[in-house]
Amino acid sequence: MKTTVTLIAPPTAMQPGGYIATAYADRSQPGTSRADLEVQESTAGWTVALRWRAPQAVIDATDNPRQFIDGAALFAPTVKDAPWISMGTPDMPLEGVLWRADRAQPWRVSAQGLGSVQRAEAPAGWTTAARYANGTWQLTFTLPAFAALTVTRQLGFAVWQGAQSERAGLKSVTPGWINL
Amino acid sequence: MNRQLAMVLDLNKCLGCQTCTVACKKLWNQDQGTDYAYWNNVETAPGKGFPRLWQETGGRNADGSVKRGEIPSLDADYGRAWKFNHDKTFFKSNGPREWLKPESGTQWGPNWDEDHGAGAYPQENHYFYLPRLCNHCTHPACLDACPRGAIEKRSDNGIVLVNQDQCHGYRFCVEACPYKKVYFDPKRQVSTKCIFCLPRIEEGVAPACARQCPGRLRFVGFLDDPAGPIHKLVNEYKVAIPLHPEFGTGPNVYYVPPLSPEGIDDEGRPTGKPRIPPAYLESLFGPAVHDAMARLAAEREKTTRGEGSAVMDLLIAYDWSKNFALDDARTREVI
Ligand code: SF4
Ligand code: SF4
Repeated sequence: MKTTVTLIAPPTAMQPGGYIATAYADRSQPGTSRADLEVQESTAGWTVALRWRAPQAVIDATDNPRQFIDGAALFAPTVKDAPWISMGTPDMPLEGVLWRADRAQPWRVSAQGLGSVQRAEAPAGWTTAARYANGTWQLTFTLPAFAALTVTRQLGFAVWQGAQSERAGLKSVTPGWINL
Repeated sequence: MNRQLAMVLDLNKCLGCQTCTVACKKLWNQDQGTDYAYWNNVETAPGKGFPRLWQETGGRNADGSVKRGEIPSLDADYGRAWKFNHDKTFFKSNGPREWLKPESGTQWGPNWDEDHGAGAYPQENHYFYLPRLCNHCTHPACLDACPRGAIEKRSDNGIVLVNQDQCHGYRFCVEACPYKKVYFDPKRQVSTKCIFCLPRIEEGVAPACARQCPGRLRFVGFLDDPAGPIHKLVNEYKVAIPLHPEFGTGPNVYYVPPLSPEGIDDEGRPTGKPRIPPAYLESLFGPAVHDAMARLAAEREKTTRGEGSAVMDLLIAYDWSKNFALDDARTREVI
């Protein structure tokens, strides 16, 4: 499956705590307005490719406390139609994979609501290939086993542009689940 | 059990020696990623402070409402840790040696304003030292800013801690703290902040900055302990007040404001007005500073008249052991 997705900025009003909702109340536009998605399923598992415009790539920030690093994540609900923008619930968790531009290996991630994302080492065989050229990130996830996606066949993704100080809930996301 | 540990610092006694800064740094912050960070710093007031302009770049307005704060710049606001030309100064075997100097350009540092102060010389020039650490606030702005719940305020002592296992390095806490007392470690991609020397507290020992202070100006204890120095100075004698109470976070570090000698006029005659303008002190400590200063001056007068003053005796720290009142079962004498 191949498509171009128009991305949105999740409402900051729903962010946990009192600071982000107020301090970022004016943030309504996503840093990345759209992204290309290509999903392939084979006997070897899933291959998911993303492509998005990023005028400035941020790959390393080890020397700068002000700098945020580019990233992207794929999520699938473990239960069909689990809440996406609010990142699942304890009864309907999300499973996924997180890439950050400074790391060779992705993380396996799970979420049960906003602010609950847990990162863990990815299973063997989960890999990412990232390339930045001509102001565009091209990122391919190879995921031999992605159980939630295989079961529900629903996918959502998020993109963070470090140059725009995107992190956490300040991100660009698919407006809902994409049915494969 | 909701108890709050607190610290009182008597600004009349700070020498600006930075022993506290070094004691803290040596104990907790020698990693590469936090070489720029000072959980405890001592800056010169009036001045821009550390990080530069921290009073303007935090996540609170003057009425306590939330605003978007800034993450300070490593070079321009914190100042990168300096690397010196030791090789060329001390270890060069031939050729001319260099004077000792930083090898890279320096833009700011933990007490960059040192001794600049304010006021026309010699009529009203003045400065004082302002030691700063995390206030372990009652309503921590850092905690409120963390979407992951990675910042915790302990109920048994009120210490505010970052759980680095939960921290994903989003830095909303760095933005939001109006005192700019959360530091980001870019090497480890996690936030760090003063832990009020929790492992020492658990052993009944006061934080290193307080124990090492040669000025004996730091007091540590529980706010609700009527026999301890904090309760006395804050609630009973009412001479210790928090820094920028208007930010609304309920700081638990309190300051005894600095009295100052009179200024002089152009003929060298005393003006009767303190060199440190009360309006400036009010801009730091709020209107409560005036009453605190008046009480302090009155106690000093009592001492001058030979009447004795329990307030002054405590502040002078004749008996240093009275500076600290922790969990008495475990309080012990170590540095
Ligand atoms: S001073 Fe800043 S870092 Fe410390 S508890 Fe208060 S808001 Fe948090
Ligand atoms: S050790 Fe004490 S006297 Fe020295 S700078 Fe720190 S607070 Fe001031």
